[in-house]
Amino acid sequence: MYHLTGVTNKKMKTNEFISLIKSRGATIVPAAPGTTITIANASLQEMRAAMIPAFLSDLYNSCCGITLGSACIFGPAPVDRGIKYPLPSIMEINRDVIGNKNLFGKTVFGRNDLFWFATDALGKCYMLDNLTLSVLRTYDDAYQAMTDCLIIGKI
Amino acid sequence: MQLTQDSAMERLASLGMDDMPVMEYAPKRCIIDKDWFKKYTVLRREFLSSLTDSYEEIAFMNLTQDEFMNLIMGKSMPDNTSVRFRVPLIWGGKLDIDNMFMCLTFPHSQNLDRFIIDQSDANVVFLPNPAKKIYVTTHLAGGGAGGNAASDRLSLAAMNYVSSNRGNE
Repeated sequence: MYHLTGVTNKKMKTNEFISLIKSRGATIVPAAPGTTITIANASLQEMRAAMIPAFLSDLYNSCCGITLGSACIFGPAPVDRGIKYPLPSIMEINRDVIGNKNLFGKTVFGRNDLFWFATDALGKCYMLDNLTLSVLRTYDDAYQAMTDCLIIGKI
Repeated sequence: MQLTQDSAMERLASLGMDDMPVMEYAPKRCIIDKDWFKKYTVLRREFLSSLTDSYEEIAFMNLTQDEFMNLIMGKSMPDNTSVRFRVPLIWGGKLDIDNMFMCLTFPHSQNLDRFIIDQSDANVVFLPNPAKKIYVTTHLAGGGAGGNAASDRLSLAAMNYVSSNRGNE
């Protein structure tokens, strides 16, 4: 059904998604305090990006970002990775692309070597071309979007 | 935004990659084969296996010894490393090892995405085109063979790792 990664996870809950992606070798960053999520949400609205939708809010209550190879889901705060370059926060990523007309009303929440992934305030997700940020496909199931985003990092 | 050679180099310098060569390219929209993703996954593995001639650049990527060995043997890619196309597929790039290079995901690959996104509406774009298969900025390569008391970069990376974890037991 999902021809790109071949991994499906219909109608999952956050903890089930985290278990699935962990079993594929992902690194789950421990959750940040609740205030960090509130600050991130306010900052994103100031940038005219989308406010954090329910699925990301649920995810951030469980973790502060996920990495799998070259793919990642950005968290509400930067992640220190020792000798490796820190993983930027969702605010930093969206601040860098502020004003791009393709991202108006959308928040970038993940990336891999081929695509960026964004969401709107209602939780609809978009796979974006990483060169033009034009929409390649839309997802009603946010966990499927996050799965596609991460699995490509480990091919 | 239409850049010139000079403004492209300036933009790259502002992104911390003033040593990244660029090539001028007129993008033309192409139709990609339906089975491109399957071919791409195979090609990525071939590219990794071809990196045995690039061990000097890999040694500057701050990898652990396991990551270094797995990469050079073509087994797996370390975290925070990306494989990019010199000419993107949708702009006529070929699915070929010669059209690929490797760099750090953060900050380099992310910043190269931003560099290209800025030019996405231009008729002529400047694309990053490093001389070797692996791009490591010269800012990382300063100093001697290792650093402090380390004899080489791998030992230095190991020492950094040990010292960063010290006191956390």
